[in-house]
Amino acid sequence: MGSFAGLFSAQAIADEVKKQGKKCILLWLCGAPSQFETWDPKPGTETAGPFAAIPTAMPGVHVSELMPQCASILDKLAIIRSMKTEPSEHFQGIDVLTRGDAPRPPFTRPILGSVVAQQLGQLDSPVPQFVLLDPCPEGNEFKAFKGGNWAGWLGAEYGPVRAGGEYSIPNILRPESIDEADHADREALRRFLSRKFENDQSSAAAAGYNAAFARVKGLMSCAPLFDIERLPADDRYRYGPGAFAQHALLARHLIENGSTFVMVANGMPWDNHVFQHEMHQMLVPELDNVIYQLVNDLSERGMLDDTLVIAMGEFGRTPWLNDARGRDHYAKAWSLAMAGGGIRGGVVHGATDERGFDVTTDPVDNRELFATIFTTLGIDPAAEYDLGDLPTFHRVEGDAKPISTLLNAG
Amino acid sequence: MPSPSRSVSSLILRLAVLVAVTTVSLACGRQAAATEGSPQTTAVQPSDNRGTPPASNAELAAAIDRLLEEGWAAADVQAADAISDEVFLRRVFLDLAGRIPSTAEREDFLSDSREDRRLLLIDRLLASDDYAKRMADLFDVLLMGRGSGRTMRERHEHGWRQWLQTQFHDNRPWNQMAEAMLLARPATAADNAATWFLYERNNDHQQIAEAVAPAFFGFRIECAQCHDSMTAAEVEQAHYWGLVAFFNRGKNEMTDQGPRIVESAVGGFSEFADIEGTSSPNLLKFLDVDVVDEARPAADEEQQESDELYQAAFRDGEPRQPVFSRRERFVEDVLRDHPRLAQAMANRLWAVLMGRGLVHPYDEMDSAHTIEHPEILQLLTDDFRQHGYDIRRTLRAIASSQAYQRSSRKPAGVDDPATFAWYLERPLTAEQFTSSLRVALYGAGEMPRDLTSAVRQAMPDVLPDESVTTIAEPLFLSNGPDLQALLQEVSEGDHPLAAMAALPSTHEAATALFLATLCRMPTAEEVEAVATFLSQSPQSAEISSNDAPLVAKQRLVHAAWAIVTSAEFRFNH
Repeated sequence: MGSFAGLFSAQAIADEVKKQGKKCILLWLCGAPSQFETWDPKPGTETAGPFAAIPTAMPGVHVSELMPQCASILDKLAIIRSMKTEPSEHFQGIDVLTRGDAPRPPFTRPILGSVVAQQLGQLDSPVPQFVLLDPCPEGNEFKAFKGGNWAGWLGAEYGPVRAGGEYSIPNILRPESIDEADHADREALRRFLSRKFENDQSSAAAAGYNAAFARVKGLMSCAPLFDIERLPADDRYRYGPGAFAQHALLARHLIENGSTFVMVANGMPWDNHVFQHEMHQMLVPELDNVIYQLVNDLSERGMLDDTLVIAMGEFGRTPWLNDARGRDHYAKAWSLAMAGGGIRGGVVHGATDERGFDVTTDPVDNRELFATIFTTLGIDPAAEYDLGDLPTFHRVEGDAKPISTLLNAG
Repeated sequence: MPSPSRSVSSLILRLAVLVAVTTVSLACGRQAAATEGSPQTTAVQPSDNRGTPPASNAELAAAIDRLLEEGWAAADVQAADAISDEVFLRRVFLDLAGRIPSTAEREDFLSDSREDRRLLLIDRLLASDDYAKRMADLFDVLLMGRGSGRTMRERHEHGWRQWLQTQFHDNRPWNQMAEAMLLARPATAADNAATWFLYERNNDHQQIAEAVAPAFFGFRIECAQCHDSMTAAEVEQAHYWGLVAFFNRGKNEMTDQGPRIVESAVGGFSEFADIEGTSSPNLLKFLDVDVVDEARPAADEEQQESDELYQAAFRDGEPRQPVFSRRERFVEDVLRDHPRLAQAMANRLWAVLMGRGLVHPYDEMDSAHTIEHPEILQLLTDDFRQHGYDIRRTLRAIASSQAYQRSSRKPAGVDDPATFAWYLERPLTAEQFTSSLRVALYGAGEMPRDLTSAVRQAMPDVLPDESVTTIAEPLFLSNGPDLQALLQEVSEGDHPLAAMAALPSTHEAATALFLATLCRMPTAEEVEAVATFLSQSPQSAEISSNDAPLVAKQRLVHAAWAIVTSAEFRFNH
């Protein structure tokens, strides 16, 4: 164990990790944040809400006053203000914005993290390639969604390792009552018997089960990586005390040490149908700081060019308020932000009308978004999934094209 | 971070999805609505009894098979092979008795040469205490959800768990169980704990409504809190608030007789607003049933409490009850004989044995979800109603069909599980897993160490939509202290595992271990692998040199671990 930590702190390894290709951190803002209190403020209109808009590092571009730190580094961020998607219910929205497309039952499209881990990940690495950090087991639809099949037709080995809660992974350490040799020995027998059953039965359930077991040993060797107490106190202070912030820091740490895709979630805090302004006044400043710290840290470490950071939810919020002073679901015109990983900074793509009711220029749907994400990570969006005699699936359907203004030339 | 993230939702979009029946294709459910490329939507329309269902078990089972086979022929599907007695034995024990068979039960069955031995076994299992426990385990989760340790303890303490078990033991008609739970006025002490269905929801009337709809009517209603369902036109916002209103005069009270839900005769009037802001009164309305009439006070009028509005309790010592009882009206006017009550249960019982509902998921039986093999659902529904909501009868017919007795090996070229052309493998529930461990390694009676609550956390699913193993489960099995400690304990004393250690050779011990855990004879290759494992010198066990056993006990513990954590043990197949 001790040697592991030493190994992974070595600069040589970090350099190697950097060379291995692109990475991605998805700040999953589940519940759906308001574009008006973040990236697309509408000062002076009846939809604006109580918060002002402030200037940013990009002349002429304003964001909500709740995001002063992001405003100062807007030259490193790209904002899409013209997201226009279909589902405006959480479950379907989460499905489409994490998988890239609506389902085609009975086939389950793999989630973004599974695709990226499969395409860019180091499968022989003990470090989990796709990690979900989510301390909150609750959250209605997201809870139901988490119980579903994330890796889809790629197979369970591309599913996420889930950590969170106490910032750790339960049962990650070998019990003292059994020594290392016996632990490995009995696992070898288990594997032999279980794989035999899988093969004899052509069992898909057993295949997924065995794939999960195959990751145990590597994951156990990574236990120190998930120990947030080992991270520098200064870093923990900078990111802030909240679970979301601490997990964002842990995401950085995991990416630095060989993970390929880390998704940071926190239940569904953004679904503010009630007291939207008060809730966002608590949530947005934390997000503002997290994005700021993350982008700066990656930049300072020379990792921003290879690490894509995405901050988005499953849709936006209504321009108007409901009777409970909340904003309801709105998928017709909303915003998200990206940085790094080959995405051009300082770009604001698309626009909405003066009250934010609809997109006026360059609408972006989920397919174009995913084509952009895949392209900037060096993954072919047009690739076909080879599923034997099943219907043809593409990584991104409909021949959707990436948004060229967001992509760095070359 | 506080979050008012109840599933409030509002829908602004109208989508250009080309589906004939609906112009908007968004659902709140787990399953997406029909879109291009998905099968034609068929409305779930419970009918009154059409035709006369077959009367005998054999005819019912044969009708299931005939209807499935017609579908396969039309779709050019080659179904999986029939299974052997040995495979059937383990499968049906797990599904009906909630555990694997013991080696003695295995020998009994395999030496039975009677023609109808499978049906006889089904009947024996359906009549067993294990069946009652299995069904209580299952329905506890289906009706109440998995709870925290404290919640589970309360269910025991207040008799809920035992009540369920008694109902299944006595094969109480499902409609009577439903009425006992929802009226919650126990006519006899035997129904005392039926009140827990409502009581545990702790005066949260929306939670009650959201539980009643799937539990007894087979569909989820959460989305209709804010708007009429976008995918299933028959699920209206008025039904959500109507269902809430039927229960919203109830208030929990712990009486000397036990938990009760005291009902008020006044109050419970409110308006609900749709997404356009139009308000409507929360009338006593649910589904296609006529609105239950009730005098409604004017907006500015306050209802006065008065003794005249109440009548004496139905039984001495019980709380008084209103002359006009909304709950009673719900039970008598809505629930009683509602066709969905039988249909939802028929679909769920099919899912229990066949691994998936005829409407899938089994608790989303709305018009946005296709009925596969609608004639089978009709047949089972009609039969269930006509035969007094007899749960055992329905399970017996399905379990004795050829469809249930097919191999779990998916035939080549068939991908759609809704064909039911093969037995859908499924993970054991936490309760099946621990009960099977007990049978295999401990023997009869309660184990000294109760793994159930730890295993429930690691394996919470019951009737999952699909089988997905997360990394948490192998970590629990590999490193959790509970399983290891249990194996260690049962290797001592008078238990099957301890007895295996006393066998004269590692080969015999290996064979015995297979029979006890996987309920089958191992292949030569498997015996060799386990025997070799057993004969290797133990790495960590201390063996006293005086009476060193022939089979090192510690190695046997590890081998037992390897088998009970293998996929073959973990799944029913």
